[in-house]
Amino acid sequence: MAITGRAVLAAFAAALVVLVAGSVFTWLVTAVLVLLAAAVLADVLLAPSPRALRFERSGDTSVRLGERAEVALVVANPARRAVRGLLRDAWAPSACAEPRRRRIRVPGGGRVRLTTALTPTRRGDQAAAGVTVRSVGPLGLAARQATHSVPWTVRALPPFHSRRHLPGKLSRLRELDGRQAALVRGQGSEFDSLREYVPGDDVRSIDWRATARRDAVVVRTWRPERDRRILIVLDTGRTSAGRVGDVPRLDHAMDAALLLAALAGRAGDRVDLLAYDRRVRAQVRSHGRGSRIPQIVQAMAPLEAELVESDPAGLVATVLSGHSRTRQLVVLLTDLNAASLEEGLLPRLPALTSRHLLMVAAVGDPRVTEMAAARGSARSVYDAAAAERTLGERSRITAELRRHGVEVVDADPEHIAPALADAYIALKAQGRL
Amino acid sequence: MSAPATAPAPPSAPSAPSSPGAGELWRRARGPAAFIAGLLVLAVLVSLGARQPREGPLEPENPGPQGTRALVEILRERGNEVAVARTTADALEAAGPGTVTVVVGSHRLPPAHVDRLAGGLGDRILVRPTTPVLRALAPGVRMTGRTEEETLDPRCRLDAAQAAGAADTGGEVYTAPRGRACYPAAGGHALVRASAGGHTATVLGSPAPLTNDRLDEEGNAALALSLIGERDVVWLRPDPVPEAGRTGLWELVPRSLRMSLVPLGAALVLLALWQGRRLGPLVTERLPVVVRASETTEGRAGLYASRRARDRAAAALRSGTLRRIRPGLGLGPDAAPAAVVAAAAARSGEAPARLGALLHGPGEPGAADPYTADDHGLVRLAEELDGLEERLR
Repeated sequence: MAITGRAVLAAFAAALVVLVAGSVFTWLVTAVLVLLAAAVLADVLLAPSPRALRFERSGDTSVRLGERAEVALVVANPARRAVRGLLRDAWAPSACAEPRRRRIRVPGGGRVRLTTALTPTRRGDQAAAGVTVRSVGPLGLAARQATHSVPWTVRALPPFHSRRHLPGKLSRLRELDGRQAALVRGQGSEFDSLREYVPGDDVRSIDWRATARRDAVVVRTWRPERDRRILIVLDTGRTSAGRVGDVPRLDHAMDAALLLAALAGRAGDRVDLLAYDRRVRAQVRSHGRGSRIPQIVQAMAPLEAELVESDPAGLVATVLSGHSRTRQLVVLLTDLNAASLEEGLLPRLPALTSRHLLMVAAVGDPRVTEMAAARGSARSVYDAAAAERTLGERSRITAELRRHGVEVVDADPEHIAPALADAYIALKAQGRL
Repeated sequence: MSAPATAPAPPSAPSAPSSPGAGELWRRARGPAAFIAGLLVLAVLVSLGARQPREGPLEPENPGPQGTRALVEILRERGNEVAVARTTADALEAAGPGTVTVVVGSHRLPPAHVDRLAGGLGDRILVRPTTPVLRALAPGVRMTGRTEEETLDPRCRLDAAQAAGAADTGGEVYTAPRGRACYPAAGGHALVRASAGGHTATVLGSPAPLTNDRLDEEGNAALALSLIGERDVVWLRPDPVPEAGRTGLWELVPRSLRMSLVPLGAALVLLALWQGRRLGPLVTERLPVVVRASETTEGRAGLYASRRARDRAAAALRSGTLRRIRPGLGLGPDAAPAAVVAAAAARSGEAPARLGALLHGPGEPGAADPYTADDHGLVRLAEELDGLEERLR
């Protein structure tokens, strides 16, 4: 039950009537009050029941963060009388559902289709909270109200801002094709084809047997290895919850991971995903060929950083017990936090690096760099000193990791995704995969 | 980019009302409603039997320290008839030849009533009367002053006073040229008795001997009981007379305006209901923690600044500069300080001693570092380190 603004207006009008004519007709006060109460009561009783309405949803089930999804809501009125009033399709605040409330009129036995536009501001699953209908009585003085649960979920996917780097990185990857051996003769590079020698080619790649059969000098060409395995590991522990700029470190890591996955998928490598803090939060395994990007995106969407210290021992054990016994590139996206890495990951590195190639990628904080450059007042010099200490620890742990044969990519949020892609292309060019 | 192929399956559950209907609301509310109704009924039943005793000084129903319920109860047990009069008319009706009227709270009596009482009452005991009441009901007695002493000795031949002995009669004092006076104090007597027109008027300068609080002290009880004697008692304690003939602001407001306040109140209640009713329940959301990644660094900077940890700040700044210049000088991370200073001096052309003090602080332990003596030194250190890096670039 609810009161409308019209009832309030009527009550003020009644007060006005009593003010004007109350001294003449003393019964007027009682009369207007009774009349008002009777009208409101009658309106409540005569209003069509909003509980009888039936709802159906259809529309988008996933949307990239920052884009707009539309969910349709069909309201069916099985009763004979028309229902008119207000309808609110409620979603969580971060879904930014529009419009928040609207006027509806559903004829008896009819259906009305409404559209709610969602522009989620946070990654993850957005569940519909409920549909509330306020059905106004024939006089428009009072209404009946009911809430229906009409379940629907829209998944807000990671935005993948770094996909604008994809064409450039792909063309760099293609440059590797065919001239691989001319640059570096890496171990395990695959033989691709024979072609005529052009000046500049490595003389070591001349195929003398083929040259003997032909008039011209023939060189072997190589192409990058294919069907290598790449395991992207997202650290979802407490260090990933910290915000760099206005976005959690985890989201920057996802962006970089998606670019790497897209690139590696095009290069013919298989990409797996693992999200881990103290247990497995998400896992995607590739079987056979074909892009796994959609699965990876779906697996990433609901991930949130947990406020727990990550467990590197469990992480290493999970990676080692993976179904792939072959050598793979393990890309660990975490923070170069000296305390947690020294105690957790470093002692367990040999077990990992003896079997796999490990690459650690971390998002640097521009705010710390900015603090390190601060000068002028004593306070800003203290800031700079604290920032220098953070940077010093970061470079110390980076050196320590590199000494263990770990590739380290450390870049600020703008550049982490292309930097990681470059590191991958460089590994591929060197044939180290 | 199009939505990925494997979106979560659309939930196929049908819609269902989730808010309670009228029947459900009634089922939920009837328990608490019945409980509250039961409490109300119980409260009414309990309060029906009880009556709040009247309050106020010298009130015969008041069991408090200033009341006189104890005295009245003693009188009734002794067999005296005690009639409590609240108005002049009641008192006149109850008073007769064989009664004594105790007049308390006489300031509440309007002048017209005082005159009526003067003619109609028999014997009377006036407890600290006002001057008009004293003049009308005890002619010949005059108030002469006031004493601060509380307990006085009787020093007279009045039977009641002699029987009682010392009593807490100290208060106002009177003179009565043609009466008997007891309990003398400076300026007069606290108890006087005068006779006029066939009845006696006893004037008591203090209400203390009658109150519940003091009744059991000194000779108070004996004095009060002896003054009353075996006679029936009319206890006159007038109710306040409502002032008549004055109109308040409320009466001056036009009648129609007064009446329109009722529908206006109803309109305000409806306005509150209209605005207060939410369209559906609140939607909750699990919010992520918001913490800046740079927070530990900022916290450490705050600690440095608040403790003035210049030595640690200087060490951090120097190690940062060393970290950046070492590769340019062709030195590794484990190069000796002297080697770094020598290489930097060779490249920049500065004096090695000065560079040593800049990059590594004072050579011998315990010596004062000019850069950490105060905050200005620290700022200078940062600027000179910047300058060195610039020259080595």
